[in-house]
Amino acid sequence: MSLYKEQLKRYIIRKIISYVIVLFLAITAVFFILRLIPGNPIRAYVYMLRSRYGFEPVGDVTIRMFEEMFGLNQDIFTQYVIFLRRLFLELNLGPSFIAFPTPAQELILRHLPWTIILLSVTTVFSWLVGLLLGVLVGWKRGTRFDNVFFTLSLVFSQIPYYILAVILLLLFAYIIPVLPSRGAYAATLMTFDINFVLSAFQHALLPASSIIIVSMMGWLISTRSLAITILGEDYLQYALAKGLSTRRILTRYILRNTLLPQATGLAMSLGFILSGAFLVEWIFVYPGMGTLFVSSIGLLDFNVLQGIIMLTIFAVLTANLLMDLIYPIIDPRVALT
Amino acid sequence: MLLLTALSFLEPIINSFRLGGIQSSAIGFFPRLLGPSLEHPLGTDHFGRDVFAMLLTGLKNSLIVGFLVGAVSTTIAIIVAFFAAYKGGVIDNLLNSLTNIILILPAWAIAAAAVAYIQRLDLLYIALVISAFAWAGPARSIRAQVLSLKSRPYVELARMIGERDFEILFFELLPNVFPYIVVGFAYSVIGGILAETGLRLIGLGAAEIITLGLLLHLYMTSGLIVQGYYHFIVGPVLVLVCIFVSLNLINMGLDELFNPRLRRVTGE
Repeated sequence: MSLYKEQLKRYIIRKIISYVIVLFLAITAVFFILRLIPGNPIRAYVYMLRSRYGFEPVGDVTIRMFEEMFGLNQDIFTQYVIFLRRLFLELNLGPSFIAFPTPAQELILRHLPWTIILLSVTTVFSWLVGLLLGVLVGWKRGTRFDNVFFTLSLVFSQIPYYILAVILLLLFAYIIPVLPSRGAYAATLMTFDINFVLSAFQHALLPASSIIIVSMMGWLISTRSLAITILGEDYLQYALAKGLSTRRILTRYILRNTLLPQATGLAMSLGFILSGAFLVEWIFVYPGMGTLFVSSIGLLDFNVLQGIIMLTIFAVLTANLLMDLIYPIIDPRVALT
Repeated sequence: MLLLTALSFLEPIINSFRLGGIQSSAIGFFPRLLGPSLEHPLGTDHFGRDVFAMLLTGLKNSLIVGFLVGAVSTTIAIIVAFFAAYKGGVIDNLLNSLTNIILILPAWAIAAAAVAYIQRLDLLYIALVISAFAWAGPARSIRAQVLSLKSRPYVELARMIGERDFEILFFELLPNVFPYIVVGFAYSVIGGILAETGLRLIGLGAAEIITLGLLLHLYMTSGLIVQGYYHFIVGPVLVLVCIFVSLNLINMGLDELFNPRLRRVTGE
């Protein structure tokens, strides 16, 4: 036992070290990718103004002043060192370009809760429903019930979120105007009370269902194939021969055995909750990170863009790390390798 | 289903026949905002353009981007995977961790941020940017396959009779990894179209180059929906759904064809 503990300790330390290294490398990679693109954001912004309004908005001196303000005139390695120092010592992502001098993380934090709530609820919900339906469909394989759901899921799981979002938007916000088309709550509500919650729920319904339908169908397919494999196992034949009730077989045998691999999948997809539905948010003008990201692209607000990307990387890697750390509890053998 | 999409490759012929040699993006050639009719099956938009013609052009361009991404990223994937798996050691470690890091990055977001500064964006450029991230997935699966094949007896044999590395890679390993390459290619095509449509949807890229994403962007943001002109959006959406579903079905078919073990699981 103590030997196992020793190995477990080594496993955990190894995972944490590789987490730190990968996080650092990924951040570095993103920084250099974004800085090595020809042209700098300030000049691009000036160019955009010029081509849009047809006159020279600012002179060369001003441009250079701005470049100095954002540290873009230094060479890339100095910029990198400054960036790292700011990020790790002050948790500062640099000033926003458009909302100068508000630091980028302040803007991001303002939008973060909406995204986290929307995406975590939809991810968990679609996982649960997809899992249950998948087990049922797998159990009834070959029947009409199975055929209908399997075909539906084949179609829907392949459509990207944002296409479904456009379809739902057209259907339920314009053609049959029953739900609001944009925003996260009615703008007239200023206080946090039951009306606010109701309005928020109503506004989240369309974006949420476009995510839920697509990802639920994906879970359904994978759970179904898992369930079918389990149905072929010997222990299940034995359970059937023993005459156990269908309910018991479904919950105790099939559901339980699909749970483990699918739980890993859930952990993975929870890592993507920050970056999962940028476009859906934008289509419904939902005030989350996605909308912020897209509008920052339009305004070339480079520090905000960079910050959002860094944050999503952090979320993905942290979810992976947590999964790695929880895994030995589920399956002790992983720590031995 | 894909036949339908593939037929639309004949877009130049159909369009030149219907419009008599005008660019489908040319503004103001037809009366504005006509409803659907025989002459203009999907009507004309607020710039006086034939929507059906734009749809065909958009389809063609979107598919071009998809296949460009597929070709470029699969090529990178093959080179990286073979080099890594065959050479092994430090090179493998380096390339493998590079692949894994790229898989973690939020590719679409970085591509969008990367593309944002660039003023003149053509199809090739977009395709290249997307490919820069799309190769990692296929590279990983091809590498795994090459690794498992590398130690097979026939490869050892080839080495013993003095074939050079290059020959072994090309004549012994490549044919056996081929199914994985094809599947990887198909997935990158889907990913390419998806990413490109997403990028254009938020309004990146030049307005002269029509793709399905640009059409969505145009008709979503121009306020036409509010006025009740729904049919503009229905076209691109339907076409995109068809593309994704059919490409994925083809992909699953390929998977089953090459990987008989799956047959039991996916389709009866």
